[in-house]
Amino acid sequence: MNPVIKIDGLSFGYEFGDSVLKDIYLEISPGEMVALVGQNGAGKTTLVKHLIGLLRPPAGKVRVADLDVANTRVSKLSRQVGYVFQNPDHQIFHDTVQAEVAFGLNNLGLPREEVEPRVTAALSDVGLEHLANENPQRLSRGQRQRVALASVLALRTPVIVLDEPTTGQDYQERKQIMALVEQLNKAGHTIVFITHDMSLVAHYASRVVVLCQGQIILDGDTREVFRQTDKLAESLLLPPQVTVLANQLNEPLNTSVSPVILSVDEMQEYLQRVREVKRNGAGD
Amino acid sequence: MARVIEYIYRDSIIHQLNPLSKLAWALGVMVLALTFNDPYYLLALLISVGLVGLTGRVMKDLSGVMKGLSIFALILVLLQVVFYHGAYREAVTLGIAMGLRMMTVVLSFLVFLSTTQYKDIILVLTEKMKLPYDYVFMFMTSLRFVPTFLNEAIQVGYAQQVRGCPIDSGNPWRKMKAYIAVALPLVLISLKKAERLAIAMETRGYGSNNRTYYKEPIISTLDYFVIFLVVVLIIGAIILRCKGLGVLH
Repeated sequence: MNPVIKIDGLSFGYEFGDSVLKDIYLEISPGEMVALVGQNGAGKTTLVKHLIGLLRPPAGKVRVADLDVANTRVSKLSRQVGYVFQNPDHQIFHDTVQAEVAFGLNNLGLPREEVEPRVTAALSDVGLEHLANENPQRLSRGQRQRVALASVLALRTPVIVLDEPTTGQDYQERKQIMALVEQLNKAGHTIVFITHDMSLVAHYASRVVVLCQGQIILDGDTREVFRQTDKLAESLLLPPQVTVLANQLNEPLNTSVSPVILSVDEMQEYLQRVREVKRNGAGD
Repeated sequence: MARVIEYIYRDSIIHQLNPLSKLAWALGVMVLALTFNDPYYLLALLISVGLVGLTGRVMKDLSGVMKGLSIFALILVLLQVVFYHGAYREAVTLGIAMGLRMMTVVLSFLVFLSTTQYKDIILVLTEKMKLPYDYVFMFMTSLRFVPTFLNEAIQVGYAQQVRGCPIDSGNPWRKMKAYIAVALPLVLISLKKAERLAIAMETRGYGSNNRTYYKEPIISTLDYFVIFLVVVLIIGAIILRCKGLGVLH
């Protein structure tokens, strides 16, 4: 399948200062769920801004949904790529939640009959349908974050980029947001999300891209990436504790064949299997 | 643009001067620039301001702004040529004088602001000039938030563009309407910021008593010399002007 995102040797530096991205090559196929991780200042946000033309790549370097980002307007790209920002207050300005979510749809020129059901659907997706007529300024920060999320989801773009979508959310809300993102991914949307939360990565991402000082140092299947603890440590990243524990237990064994454990459930299953093997062995 | 009026730390004699003498200098330059309209006099003044900037080692940081200003100055010259009723030569000279004057005044204040910390300016204005602290603080804080505000404006623009808001539209009417979506969040953010700032200040005892200051502003011999020099130059300029020098008729 043709990649929906294709970055071909992208480098970038802001006007004053060092280069932020160095020679990035990245291809993402439709339907992937990619976690973009790395320390603050590694270039994560800078990279994804190139996907929707907020930062202009040189011609031919970044293609999204067969559009060359270099010469496509942001408002046109916004039909292909949804982008959820870190700070919801940068976008919220309507006096009802409903109107805020409808803003993007109106910009796309959709008829009213289509806008209303989409708004309702997006709000119920993020669990805010009961606040549809509330003033967003009265909501909590976490709720405003979800208003912002809904306003982008309503656009139903094939690609969705989320820059730290779970900041300021409690455990329950975090799970809700990520479950929603997962659901969108299953429905065929390509997802790229930035996060610092490795347990989210382990749980939801099928692929992990690690940025370190503007370069991709790891890129692959989540399990494969979490196996490489040394390389991750370069970026001061630590896989979830259960993964680290499993890696350490595996060390004396043959690591290359033993699985990478991503969750407590997997660990439990794995230990049970080991016990059974042992028991069977002892019975001989 | 966001970096234009930020303090830039460098180790230079200009940075060490008392804010008062730098302020006197910038005001002096303004008076001089308004006194003369002979392009040669103004050019000399601009060069002298540039030299001060070089001594302060901030000219490189200001070069971007200077480029923008010179384009603006060029437009001023063109406007004069098009709209001035009189000889072509006269129009050009007048235009050049206006452009140089504008550049000189702006550059002198940029040098002042980029070599002086806001808190030091507040300090001398309240301690030495005996202006009420609340007003000085208010004024200086609003200045300090200009770069933040500009940066915020860019972010808000981004956030609306990705929802299809046509602020990159070619149609000026649509563009103008689209900017409402940028202006409103900006106002809301600023109000919130102001509120937070007020709370943060109050919780740290703002306005509870007479203030003391961590740093005592020092007026050194060099500062007295600079202020003396500025006064002498201004008097000199006025005398020259009265004798009809440096003025075109």
